[in-house]
Amino acid sequence: MQRRDFLSWLLKSAYAVLGLGCVATLPYLYRGGNEDIKTFFVKTVDEDDLPRRGVKEVEFPFRGLTHKAFIVRKNTDLFVLSPICSHLGCSVNWNFVNNEFDCPCHGGRYDMSGHVIGGPPPKPLTRLPYVIKDGFFYIGIRA
Amino acid sequence: MSQNGNKKAFYPDYLPFVLVAALIAVEAIIASALLFPPRIGPAIDLTAPYQPKPEWYFLWIYQLLRYFPGSWAIFGTVLLPALLILSFIFMPYIDRGPRGRKKSLLVGIVLFTSLAVLTLIPVLTGR
Amino acid sequence: MIRRIINLLDRWFGTKEAHRNFLARALPGKIGVSYCLGGMAFTAFLVSVLTGLLLSIYYVPSGTEAYPSIVTLHNEVWFGWGIRSIHKWSANFLIIFVALHAVRVFLHKAYRPPRELNWMAGALGFVLIMASGFTGYLLPWDQKAYWATVVGTSMAKTVPGAGGLLVRLLRGGPEVAGATLVRFYSMHVLWIPFGLMLIFWTHFHMVKRQGISGGL
Ligand code: HEM
Ligand code: FES
Repeated sequence: MQRRDFLSWLLKSAYAVLGLGCVATLPYLYRGGNEDIKTFFVKTVDEDDLPRRGVKEVEFPFRGLTHKAFIVRKNTDLFVLSPICSHLGCSVNWNFVNNEFDCPCHGGRYDMSGHVIGGPPPKPLTRLPYVIKDGFFYIGIRA
Repeated sequence: MSQNGNKKAFYPDYLPFVLVAALIAVEAIIASALLFPPRIGPAIDLTAPYQPKPEWYFLWIYQLLRYFPGSWAIFGTVLLPALLILSFIFMPYIDRGPRGRKKSLLVGIVLFTSLAVLTLIPVLTGR
Repeated sequence: MIRRIINLLDRWFGTKEAHRNFLARALPGKIGVSYCLGGMAFTAFLVSVLTGLLLSIYYVPSGTEAYPSIVTLHNEVWFGWGIRSIHKWSANFLIIFVALHAVRVFLHKAYRPPRELNWMAGALGFVLIMASGFTGYLLPWDQKAYWATVVGTSMAKTVPGAGGLLVRLLRGGPEVAGATLVRFYSMHVLWIPFGLMLIFWTHFHMVKRQGISGGL
């Protein structure tokens, strides 16, 4: 009987090790947080090319791909909107006929300030930081 | 094995039919493949306006997403699809008790029609 | 000649003896074409495995090379476009056959005991096949692939609390990038096909043990 108890104990601990092993693969798959997210300021347009009023789409290269962002001048405010829809991440477009941002994916709509005016997005468009340096407009993207 | 009058054996009674069916499947696949080859899509472009569409067998989720704005989104993305998939997997346990088949038929028909309708809406409206 | 080879193999492996129950198993006297759908689905799966193995000879799973490798495969490799096309169509037909097979089983009440486990095995296989379609869709690494995956993985973001973690787990990072492509490729060609083969194996063994249910 002693031996049998020992064997069944051994079996149970083998199951436990197996189970723990499976759980341990999850953090492995997660990859860990070795890359820290920072804000990079990327050079875009000449200061003189900023919009006097309304929305201007700018494109700039970052890590091998061309990204885009919207520079908006509303009354005296100047701000930059990220094109990434807060719903599920599609890229929104400026619709100058209706003066709104439209998301092609599930019909999300935002006004000029980036506030949601229709469709499924839960949050406004993200405002990106910017600096003006040496006559150029730099947009900060987090990556 | 096949002594029972209305029983037949898999081999030699049915195996030939299964092989013919398999052949038809292969031929249907190859014929469609030759007639309608895929294209190469445009390269990744983060600046161009683009509306991605999933494969036809995911259109039902795609359509479902539209109905749940803001913080309700999880119903379209996770809860309803999960409910659908789980009720499909656990169908044998829905069919329990004296009215079991009625329940499972109801669930089956609801599953089937909702999938069909949700797939057809984007197909027909082209959105 | 072929007979002799078969007999020789049989002497070594005892294949016929082991499968006697499978081959000679009794089936209901009246069976329609709908009973072939499972076999047709399996056939489509085999076609997708064969063409997938051929695609993997040229395909390069990397953020910078995946798209050019597909272009080369499609335009320059002899019949590359055809292998790609057959792979895609085998996936579409696989889904159709599996769905019809499930409808057939449901209408015949064949999910009832003792076959409830086999229904669940089949349903799980269905889910894995859908997962295969989702991961395979990213592999061409073109505009459609990229945005469909951005939207598809973002869906996990809506889970309260764990959403951010889940999305990173799916993507292998904060954004859809080369790391995402590599893990989707691994899922698509190793994990899922392996899981599916296990499931099919149990599925067919249960069919053998439990027989086909006696019609309506
Ligand atoms: C062992 C099995 C498989 C292997 C080794 C494999 C391998 C591959 C490879 C290398 C590609 C990239 C080439 C390309 O995009 O044309 C691919 C694409 C794809 N695979 Fe598979 N595959 C397998 C099974 C499946 C299955 C079962 C499905 C079922 C749904 C599937 C669906 C797809 C789809 C939709 C694509 C995208 C095709 C395209 O856009 O051209 N694959 N597969
Ligand atoms: S991603 Fe913009 S509306 Fe869904």
